[in-house]
Amino acid sequence: MRRLGKYVALGGLVAFLASMGNVMAQECPIKLGAILPVSGPMGQVGERISNTGAFAVEVFNEAGGVKNCPVEYTLRDTQGQSAVGVDAAKSLVDLEGVKALIGAVSSGVSLPVLTSVAVPSKVVQVSCCSSSESFTALAQEGKTKGYWFRTYATNRSQAAMGALLTTEKGFKNTAVIYVNTDFGVGLAKRYVEDIKKLGGNITSMIAYNESQQSYRAEVTKALEGNPDSVFLVAFPVDGATITREWLSLGGTDNLIVNNSLRSDDYFKAVGHQYLQNLVGYDSAQPRLPSVTTFNELFQAKFDGPPNGPGLHSVFDAVTVVLLAMEAADELTGDAIRDQIRNVTADGGIEVYPGAEGIKRAKALLAEGKQIRYVGATGALQFDANGDVQAPKMTWKLNGTENKETGYYTTEQVADLIKRLDK
Amino acid sequence: MIGVLSYLIFFMILALVFGIAVLGLNLQWGYTGLFNAGVAGFLAIGGYAMAILTGPSREAVFGGFELPFLVGLIGAMGAAGLGGIIIGLVTLRLRGEYLAVATFGIAVTIQLVCLNWEYLTGGTLGLIGIPNPTHELASAPLAQNAIFLAMVVALTALVYWGLQRIVNAPWGRVLKAIREDEIAAESLGKNPALIRLTSFVLGCMLMGLGGALYVAFIGFVSPFDFLPIITFQIWTMLIVGGSANNRGAILGAIVVWAVWTGSGYIISQIVPPEFQAQSGAMQAVLIGLILVLSLLFRPRGLIGEKLHVSRHAKL
Repeated sequence: MRRLGKYVALGGLVAFLASMGNVMAQECPIKLGAILPVSGPMGQVGERISNTGAFAVEVFNEAGGVKNCPVEYTLRDTQGQSAVGVDAAKSLVDLEGVKALIGAVSSGVSLPVLTSVAVPSKVVQVSCCSSSESFTALAQEGKTKGYWFRTYATNRSQAAMGALLTTEKGFKNTAVIYVNTDFGVGLAKRYVEDIKKLGGNITSMIAYNESQQSYRAEVTKALEGNPDSVFLVAFPVDGATITREWLSLGGTDNLIVNNSLRSDDYFKAVGHQYLQNLVGYDSAQPRLPSVTTFNELFQAKFDGPPNGPGLHSVFDAVTVVLLAMEAADELTGDAIRDQIRNVTADGGIEVYPGAEGIKRAKALLAEGKQIRYVGATGALQFDANGDVQAPKMTWKLNGTENKETGYYTTEQVADLIKRLDK
Repeated sequence: MIGVLSYLIFFMILALVFGIAVLGLNLQWGYTGLFNAGVAGFLAIGGYAMAILTGPSREAVFGGFELPFLVGLIGAMGAAGLGGIIIGLVTLRLRGEYLAVATFGIAVTIQLVCLNWEYLTGGTLGLIGIPNPTHELASAPLAQNAIFLAMVVALTALVYWGLQRIVNAPWGRVLKAIREDEIAAESLGKNPALIRLTSFVLGCMLMGLGGALYVAFIGFVSPFDFLPIITFQIWTMLIVGGSANNRGAILGAIVVWAVWTGSGYIISQIVPPEFQAQSGAMQAVLIGLILVLSLLFRPRGLIGEKLHVSRHAKL
């Protein structure tokens, strides 16, 4: 029995190494690696994101693939763990020979992958969903060497919109309550900087940890200094607990909330009648035909609307990378990196999602024309740090109805940020 | 072939970094019988100590002393050892599962402290730009990783040698005596409390070393790197490899890490693309299956404990 075990193990190892050899020999298809959490706590979200990424590849292949070569989408699970994600990325790059990486979802996984795999191996990494400001900081220090992009509009614009809303409403003393994650911390800190520039005041900044029974202690602390308004960065369940305790302890009902609270679950849990002075902002779906095109494509494929985090942005992440590959002379990380900026640059001929749109884009590229991809999240324009901005909207509750009160185009948002960053 | 080599180097670095932590756990559990379920916490202490000592300075965050790598390693071991002393003094009077629950709780606490004490740890954003010492020695990534691997191999060998000396010395026999029967050991004039504490602290220092190496290699640290599942992984490595056998601990680290990551590779090769999104679940099943089978067929681990009889006994 013992000896048999050894032979089986040895045989397995040989087969494993042999299969690696096969993989190395291939030129076509071109491989695109995805590192996403399809199991673990983010599994549900990750699975939908992955399916949408695979769908983007399918659409591209319908249009003839990259350089007449079909594209193969190779997924590896991160299990939501950084070490596993890092190993998966390295194995995709070294063993599978993928030309670019899509992912990951959590910043805590994307960042280790970037610093230990993508940058040293000179492979482009595009994330659909990582929101941490650490990426921007890393890029500013020159440590991403330009290989990092994300199609998720960062916290930066959300903080700016929150600050704008607060000051436009004339509030002077605002308390900030935020979820203690990289997302919440980054957003809240930016908000405080922005609001000071717009002439507002902060009475307190209170972080809360997720999934607690009660937030009485946090709320009591936030009430100190008599704020005339509160900025809340939370998710529906905890957000409702906080809001109920806030109101019952005599806090003001002048709430400014992050887009994560634009949810019926939250309104119902607190009660619509208590939220009539609530205002919020959200990423607006840009009013562009390209977005509708994507929504229709998605509906036809999956028999349901693309509701959920990261779906629009992963579709664009994949499509932009593949367009950049098509435009690149050779499939090196450096060439793909530079072409990502080229195929999204201002002034190019606009091209849209879907097989027809991709075909047109490829034809234009073949003629040597400059293109600009306008996709499921609208016109993407990467700044020097690989970040993008998105259009925003503001909203409030009118009875039980969720009503839009303002719309800010990508350019207006960019102007606002420029003003604040001065 | 260069890709395979490059990957194998990368793989071995992570496997051996875990291996050093497994050796630490082996000293605690394998030789002394201390059920430490807080491995992730000590990895975190070592990792953050490394980041604070060697990382670049940042406004609003403590540390960033830009000290040499070696100082970082020693500091990380020192910090984890200090943590081990404090936690050990509090918890080591507990036995078996009680100790396990207490140490598990402490690991979660440490992770939450990392998450919330922004001034020290950078909070959820983590600490970026932690220097990898090999980046100064070579420019090609493959060479950098090869040097890092050589260093990790050397450190593993050093740790292994040191532990072998310890456990084969009379002191090592006392550890086993305490593991088997504490009252009997005490009746022979030994001080189990002190010896248990020493063993616990030494083990924690090795976990700190593992955490520090991981962070230096990745170049980034966040509370996300030290989730409780890491504790489970390290434990699995020890049990599969062979408790109370230092070679078993290292082998277990390599084998379990290979199963954990290789299963993903194999599944991505054999599963048709349309089912790829389910591959995560399949991978979890495969990992579980291999672990269960290995325990069924090798209940004492791949290389179990060697039975020792006194040299002076006549057989």
